Amino acid sequence: MAERADDRLVRLLGLVAYLDGAGPVPVAELAGRFGVSEQQIRDDVDQLWVTGTPGYWPDDLIDFDADAVERGVVHLREARGLTRPLRLGTREAVALVAALRAMAASGPVQADPARAQLVASALDKLTTATGEAASAVDVRLAADGDPRVVQAVTDALARGRRLRIRYVNAADVAGERDVDPVRLLTQDESAYLLAWCHRAQGRRTFRLDRVLWARVLDVPVEGRQVDVDVDVAQSVAEAGQDAAVATVRFASAARWVAEEVPTEAVRDLPDGSFEVRLRVTNPAWLRRLLLAGGPDVLEVSPPQVAADVAQAARAALAAYGVAGEAWPDAGAGAAVG
Amino acid sequence: MPEESLPSVPPAERLLNLVIALVNTSVSMTKQQIRRGVAGYGDAPSVDAFERMFERDKDTLRALGVPIVTVDSGGHSDDVGYRIDNDAYALPAVDLTPAELGVLALAAQLWSDKTLRTDISRAMTKLRAAGAGEAASDALAGLAPRVRAVGDAYGPLLEAVTERRVVTFRYRAASTGQVTARHVEPWRIAARGGGWYLVGRDQDRQAPRVFRLSRIEGRVRVGSRAGAFEIPADLDVDALLGARTGRERTAVLAVVPERASAVRARAVPVPSDTSSGTSSGTSSDVVRDASPGTAATDATDAPLAVPPAAAAAPAGRDVLAVRFTSLTTLAEELAGYADAVVVLAPPELRTEVVRRLQAAAGLAPRTPHHRPEPDEETTRG
Repeated sequence: MAERADDRLVRLLGLVAYLDGAGPVPVAELAGRFGVSEQQIRDDVDQLWVTGTPGYWPDDLIDFDADAVERGVVHLREARGLTRPLRLGTREAVALVAALRAMAASGPVQADPARAQLVASALDKLTTATGEAASAVDVRLAADGDPRVVQAVTDALARGRRLRIRYVNAADVAGERDVDPVRLLTQDESAYLLAWCHRAQGRRTFRLDRVLWARVLDVPVEGRQVDVDVDVAQSVAEAGQDAAVATVRFASAARWVAEEVPTEAVRDLPDGSFEVRLRVTNPAWLRRLLLAGGPDVLEVSPPQVAADVAQAARAALAAYGVAGEAWPDAGAGAAVG
Repeated sequence: MPEESLPSVPPAERLLNLVIALVNTSVSMTKQQIRRGVAGYGDAPSVDAFERMFERDKDTLRALGVPIVTVDSGGHSDDVGYRIDNDAYALPAVDLTPAELGVLALAAQLWSDKTLRTDISRAMTKLRAAGAGEAASDALAGLAPRVRAVGDAYGPLLEAVTERRVVTFRYRAASTGQVTARHVEPWRIAARGGGWYLVGRDQDRQAPRVFRLSRIEGRVRVGSRAGAFEIPADLDVDALLGARTGRERTAVLAVVPERASAVRARAVPVPSDTSSGTSSGTSSDVVRDASPGTAATDATDAPLAVPPAAAAAPAGRDVLAVRFTSLTTLAEELAGYADAVVVLAPPELRTEVVRRLQAAAGLAPRTPHHRPEPDEETTRG
């Protein structure tokens, strides 16, 4: 797909402003700085060369040292007044400042005073340059995890050390394992540790709020190649390719399920309820979802999933000393709210 | 960018020529001078085509931060001139250290949307043009902040918030499932706990409301009048979103040994008087159309199914306490543990968990003449 005209314009203006007073700069260096190919830089120079003030006679145009370009070096001779870098637009300032504010307030940054100081000073300098217009967007990342766990994980990442963690899985079983940390993914919804797990001999993702404790070991991580480009929701969906499918119809009030849980399909129904198809990669997880959302669950199939959830609920009610049939209409679909 | 006729001058070149012309003009240029003089505009086949092309280019440049100002020399509208405000043009000096540039590079990865990624990468291009050097990322090694995609509503909503314009959209209310038109004075776009929200004043209901962006159906229409309302100076986004509503309270739980470790990890000392943390207080007087995180409403009007006093712990369980602010969120979590966790206090939390369990128990009828004991079948997955 062709580059958008406005994206290209920003780079063309940026190139001239950068080159003004910079002397000769190799094409390769410019390509690295602006994150494009060397050919793109050459095309940009060709473009700039025919641009200038009305009249467009040779003296009106942006000009480069032609011999230098032949040798792979860009040397600006005439900037036609574009000597200063363009200020940030409102949208650009919002995108940058909102991201920095979210980072500054996040657990992994707050866990270390030097790190917090660094992000704060970057934010300070940017806010000075952009003004206060950038507060339209307000993002808060998940504050998951014990601060001591966050501290240990970020410390291990910074120093390349192995971690020993105690982790409780979705089935509520806790165990210790040694992991080589790769990434701390702080998302808006939850935080995850991506690591090479020595117990499982594979890449694993750990929810940070389920890491009961973490200790930095005096062992360097093995330099394993671990694919870091992980989308947690996506990897859950993929892991369940062979898993059974369950279909659940929820009352409208449980719309968050359709929005936050990895689903195969969502179907809106005329009465405001909706139906989701889920891959059951983890039966314990599905049971918890249905127990938690009980009053908004209208129908579950296959029937054995419903029976399993009902069974667990009756056992719990027995522990409360309450009979399961107390409300005959329970689960019949009244959307309480 | 689609062009109406095949231009011999590419759009990026035309835009650049316009910037150079308006930066270098001694006073200002009229539209006529621009059409005749600036390379690229001569391609426009008619006055109307030129007008549309120029208006669009002007919007594009302003969106990029180019300060185009109009100079009214009085009288005829053809005399209106355009120039670039050279004092406002430049990026103030931002003297970033390599480590600070590393922070920015990491921040640029936060967004999942193409549109926000485009916005932030343009910002990075401008900062690099300003001379920012190599980024160093050691201090933030391994960190990966990420926020979920906000979707198509972001563009119009951001424009509306920054220019204080009223927006209109169709919205699916979670409480009823019905889709209705809403007219809103938008104050803030916010992301919390896995969702994107619009915080603003609902004009029909004449009160602050929170809208979940994923429940907006179709396009957001932006009103024509800028500066149509004031954004409250003391706006507290978290209070409106309910993230910090209500005091923090303490729940007392009876937990089966070895179970619910994630709850145990948050345990605080059990208060000596277990009723001390049980006083009820409504979480907020702000009505929410969508609360972050979990269910859409805090159900506080459910009938009591258990005695209101703090209950006694079943035998053989560990008694522990956890702090909470959202009753609904904690009730959902604890109901998920089924018989492993029993709430002792406060009673309204106990009621809320029992309500969920009773509904779940009704999902499948008990087989007649067969009343299984709780542990007769294995329920572990």
